[in-house]
Amino acid sequence: MARFLTIGERIHVISPTIRKALQERNPEPIIARAREQVEAGANYLDVNIGPADRDGEELMPWAIKILQEEFPDTPLCLDTANMKAIEAGIKVYDRKAGKPIINSADAGPRLDMVNLAAEYDAMVIGLCAKEGIPRDNDERMMYCTQILERAMEAGLDPENILFDPLFVVLKGMQDKQQEVLEAVRQISEMGLLTTGGLSNVSNGCPKELRGLIEATFCAMAIQCGLTSAIINPLDKLVINVIKTADLIKGRTLYADSYLDL
Amino acid sequence: MAYKMPTQKYSGKILEVNVGSDLKLGGESVLPFYSFDGDIGNKPAIGMEIWDIFPESWPAGVLDVFKEVADEPVKWAKHCVEKYNPDFICIKFEGASPDGLNKSVEECAEVAKRLAENVSVPLVIAGCPNNEKNAKLFTKIAESLPNKNYVFLSAVESNYKEVAAAVGLAYGNVVAAESSVDLNLAKQLNILITQLGVKPDKMVMNPGCAAVGYGFEYAVTTMDRIRLAALEQNDATLQMPMILPVSFESWKVKESVVSEEEIPEWGPQEERGIAMEISTAVGVLAAGANAVILRHPRSVEVVRNFITEMTE
Repeated sequence: MARFLTIGERIHVISPTIRKALQERNPEPIIARAREQVEAGANYLDVNIGPADRDGEELMPWAIKILQEEFPDTPLCLDTANMKAIEAGIKVYDRKAGKPIINSADAGPRLDMVNLAAEYDAMVIGLCAKEGIPRDNDERMMYCTQILERAMEAGLDPENILFDPLFVVLKGMQDKQQEVLEAVRQISEMGLLTTGGLSNVSNGCPKELRGLIEATFCAMAIQCGLTSAIINPLDKLVINVIKTADLIKGRTLYADSYLDL
Repeated sequence: MAYKMPTQKYSGKILEVNVGSDLKLGGESVLPFYSFDGDIGNKPAIGMEIWDIFPESWPAGVLDVFKEVADEPVKWAKHCVEKYNPDFICIKFEGASPDGLNKSVEECAEVAKRLAENVSVPLVIAGCPNNEKNAKLFTKIAESLPNKNYVFLSAVESNYKEVAAAVGLAYGNVVAAESSVDLNLAKQLNILITQLGVKPDKMVMNPGCAAVGYGFEYAVTTMDRIRLAALEQNDATLQMPMILPVSFESWKVKESVVSEEEIPEWGPQEERGIAMEISTAVGVLAAGANAVILRHPRSVEVVRNFITEMTE
């Protein structure tokens, strides 16, 4: 069984520092954010450039180039709704460290991202949603199946898709948490890979609680079959819980210094 | 549709480690001898064990073969290389033992140096049963033979800092990390040694050896699990080649030691010792050993044939 895959979320247009750096094509703040995540142990780095309707086709390749030049051993997750920007990004992407992940396809307007992944032999996050948050797990599983069917038609192996059941915020949606975990279980039982954004769960909670909430949710989701997550790797608790869960799952071999690795 | 043979692919690969100037260990990305699955890397190597002192404690079956040459390590080593063509010589400094002759580390380093100058194959330097003495011994020998890529057998939990710092960091040789049939300790020791700054490709592992019938299943299943973690889980802390000192174990068990007069129904003593050595060697090779250390020329011949048959 492969180790749990972590995708570092901190290169995101929502951060004013990153937004400014992207606008000004200033590599330093982006490299700095990447470095702290790589050093903290992130396997993949998400590169969120926002919708980038205007200049995405030029911005995504720029971001990929500066990151891969500095971190040739860290694969990237290309995150924008702009399909042309993703395509332009994949064209300059160096696969030495691993396939690019497209973030993301859904069962609605972004279903074609699946075809893009198939065309360029990339991986893709398949959001089990169409418009907004799915109402229940019947909907989630329907969207999951639709994405899977599209992938089969396009010739994309299911192992290249990370299905995201859409984690929801704890504060305000407590009654939906078990349902999301159940969705992880159902998708996993189909032999499919899963992922999700952990920060969704702790959104709006006090800063000092976010790591604990994310780590606990993550551990529970791992027991349901979760194989990867989009995380803040600087959160030591989350990273350590993931490493420990990998031991308990038998994905890595125990050694006293396992947290150092 | 034509039949396509399924193959097992792994994400991990065993490191290729240079020993001496041109012996390479490891490099495989599949289970031992699984050439039908992919690259089996370098052929497992065979070394012959010699001692710095006359090996009076060796059972007659193997002592008789070497008694004419075993009074002098260089003579002994050259005899082995010329007659039996091993890939390396393992010199065991039994004479350094504080419970025995307690030879000085300087004296031992002289022997090692003379061997290095006179023997055409690489050396594996093995110590005495005392780990504290070994730390000093290895430091001295590594210092007098810098950057030779010789393997030092071994760094253990109680002396790894000294041994790894001298052998692997200061003097450019290869550190063998030894644990005694403990999977988690094997990994931990590798982590600790690399945390000191030793490069993984300057390391090999001895995960603990046992003779067949003497806890051997523990030894081989430990090796199996190390290999599976290295290949399946791509565990970089366990991707060093493994070296197994088979002869250290196989010649001290009852089957090799008891004379024919004592137990006539067991048959000739020499044959038994050889059989124990060969079975142990073949067992550990099938579990992933990249190098084995042997004593008896007949074992060397049979194990070499086995390796050739399995790899060519």
